[in-house]
Amino acid sequence: MKLDDLGQGALAVIAGITGGRGVLARMASLGLYAGKKIRVVQTAPFKGPILVEDVATGARTMIGRKIAAHVEIRNEEPR
Amino acid sequence: MSRSATKSPGDELVIALAGQPNCGKSTLFNAVAGFKVNTGNFSGTTVAYTETRVFFEGRTVKLIDLPGTYSISAHDIAEKVARDYLLSGSVDVIINVLDSSTLARSLELTIQLMEMDVPMVIALNMFDEAQKKGIAIDAAKLASLTGVEACPLVAAQGSGVHELFRAAFKVSREAYRYRKPVYDKDVEECIARIASRYPQSLGELARVNERFVIIRLLEMDPEFEALAQEADPAFLQFVRENRRFLAEVHAWPETGVFASHRHAMVMDLFEDVAVVKSRAKLSFGEAVDSFIINPAGGLIAFAALIFLMFSTSFWLGDLLSGLLEGPLDLVGRQLPGLLSGNVLILAAGLWDGVTAGLGIVLPFLVPLLTLMSLLEDTGLLPRIAFMMDGLLHRFGLHGKSVVPLILGYGCNVPAIMAARNLEYERDRIITLLVVPFISCSARTVIIMALAGKYLGAGYATLIYLGNIAVALAMSFLLSRFNVETSPGIIMDVPPLRRPYAGIVLRKVWAMTYEFLAFAWPVIAISSIVLAVMAHAGVDAYVNAALSPVTAFVLDLPENLGITLFLGIFRKELTLIMLESALGTANVASVLSPVQLLVLVVFTVLYIPCIATISTLWKEGGWKVAAASVALNTAVALVVAGTIAHVL
Ligand SMILES: Nc1nc2c(ncn2[C@@H]2O[C@H](COP(=O)(O)OP(=O)(O)O)[C@@H](O)[C@H]2O)c(=O)[nH]1
Repeated sequence: MKLDDLGQGALAVIAGITGGRGVLARMASLGLYAGKKIRVVQTAPFKGPILVEDVATGARTMIGRKIAAHVEIRNEEPR
Repeated sequence: MSRSATKSPGDELVIALAGQPNCGKSTLFNAVAGFKVNTGNFSGTTVAYTETRVFFEGRTVKLIDLPGTYSISAHDIAEKVARDYLLSGSVDVIINVLDSSTLARSLELTIQLMEMDVPMVIALNMFDEAQKKGIAIDAAKLASLTGVEACPLVAAQGSGVHELFRAAFKVSREAYRYRKPVYDKDVEECIARIASRYPQSLGELARVNERFVIIRLLEMDPEFEALAQEADPAFLQFVRENRRFLAEVHAWPETGVFASHRHAMVMDLFEDVAVVKSRAKLSFGEAVDSFIINPAGGLIAFAALIFLMFSTSFWLGDLLSGLLEGPLDLVGRQLPGLLSGNVLILAAGLWDGVTAGLGIVLPFLVPLLTLMSLLEDTGLLPRIAFMMDGLLHRFGLHGKSVVPLILGYGCNVPAIMAARNLEYERDRIITLLVVPFISCSARTVIIMALAGKYLGAGYATLIYLGNIAVALAMSFLLSRFNVETSPGIIMDVPPLRRPYAGIVLRKVWAMTYEFLAFAWPVIAISSIVLAVMAHAGVDAYVNAALSPVTAFVLDLPENLGITLFLGIFRKELTLIMLESALGTANVASVLSPVQLLVLVVFTVLYIPCIATISTLWKEGGWKVAAASVALNTAVALVVAGTIAHVL
């Protein structure tokens, strides 16, 4: 599943980021890389970006949809 | 490993500020250095580094404000600039500025900086914000766990600055006790294995401590991988095997394995030094945030912003401009009594230029720049960008262009300045070229005074909406011409913060000063030229020269040539001079409704005013300014000419 398939409020773990080194690098430099647990705070109107929150740190980042389609996620396993 | 300071207290000390975007680095820099850097609650305010020499606490300090970076992986230019500087060996002390209200994330960079083995102190900035969010940070414990002195700081109020610098001076004088961050057993064993095979040639090439290089290699850092390849390909192969092994043990992808380890370490550290009190109630900022981040709330906030923008320019701008007009006029009227002949002509022209800058542009510029600074400092800007990004994408722009576009309706000058926030050249140029199409308050007045008065409110509205359509169409077309596609938005959304009056005012002053120093002289000189031309009676020549445009393309009376020409200096002049050029106060008796329509449409679209052109020149270079003039004129001729000949 990809990040842009997620609805508002969904919890997930980043499984991997496909696409070029550029996308990977920009995500990583904002603290988003494989293994990070994230929450979708809000999706913007008009197919706009997705606002994700790093669950551990509370830091928020908006990610355009084109880029979100490169982010492979897995659903948070119930504990 | 340790390094002893070689500098005596009399020597200049090189201190670099390093931190993540929006941690308040520029605010700290300015608190020490006076206002030199543009601060803002928006990623990417500091792209290159700024340095200054200050005398502080009895020492000469060379202070460097490095670009904000989330890590030192050298993924982008900012990270590379920061890392190269820190590794250059010229830095005596790093002040790592942290945003305490997002401590966990901030610490990720801290750990990486510590690995560089350069003397360092931690500045726990935004300590006030952290307290408000219920995060209690034990600075002493952080210092004892990391071996790096940690000082609470509220840069925006200047509190803690002296203590911080005293700590920085101390760490430089005494031997710096480097305590390396320790990873879990697997990682440390892996590092040890690699270290045992570390080739001397790589040490000579990299000229950085071994452990740092190994960690960079485990993080797949392309720059260090290239060095390792050059030094010893077999060694690089060995590192890669170890990296793969680490990834397999933890079932993590190779690309993120090290980052994940560091993250785990950071979270442990965070839990040791910070206590987060759970609060029953959201803080005011968080409550506002959760409201405006919703589409409905965002729309309301957006509407409020537009309303604010229009009332600042039409109400406040008009008010200020009216207040200034009287006294400025009074001075202007004294001139004929004081001077005579050619001197008077030049002086009157100069005075016209001065008043145009002072009485017409400033009353709009200053309030709108204040509004923009408030949007930046509170952190509302990324939220507006978030909401509008999707819509603007359809027109080839993206979310960050929204503020320049909105400000453009007030005055194009601050709007062009606001385009600095766009980090991609492509997006910035498109925005710079689109803004001059936007009907600023001066042009809106013309629409209302001519179309509204003689053609009716319906036509005025139609022209206004038509203008928006033209601006959007332009951005659509310009983005089609540009082969590069916008990579899409990835942007940090910092928490909402209260703005500080002092900081906002200093920022407004810095930008106003830039206008005064660059655009104002251009306006003054062109006014002098204009005065000389008027005196020499070139009206007739201008009319004749422009007659192909006025009479043929636009189908307007030839003597309007000079009024259109004057509009380049300030758009209001077209309106003011219209009656005298036509020789009657009743414009409708001379011009047909179609001619009026053509005149208004042309005035709104053609060449941006001189203040806009000179600001474009300053922000984008003369090519952008020239392209803008050409583009606006061409579009104005096509649109107005079509109306003239079809209707
Ligand atoms: N509450 C609070 N706000 C601060 C503090 N320091 C800076 N700010 C604000 O944080 C925002 C970002 O600061 P800036 O210096 O531009 O960050 P930079 O990107 O790291 O240079 C600005 O709006 C500052 O007014 C602080 O200690 N407390």
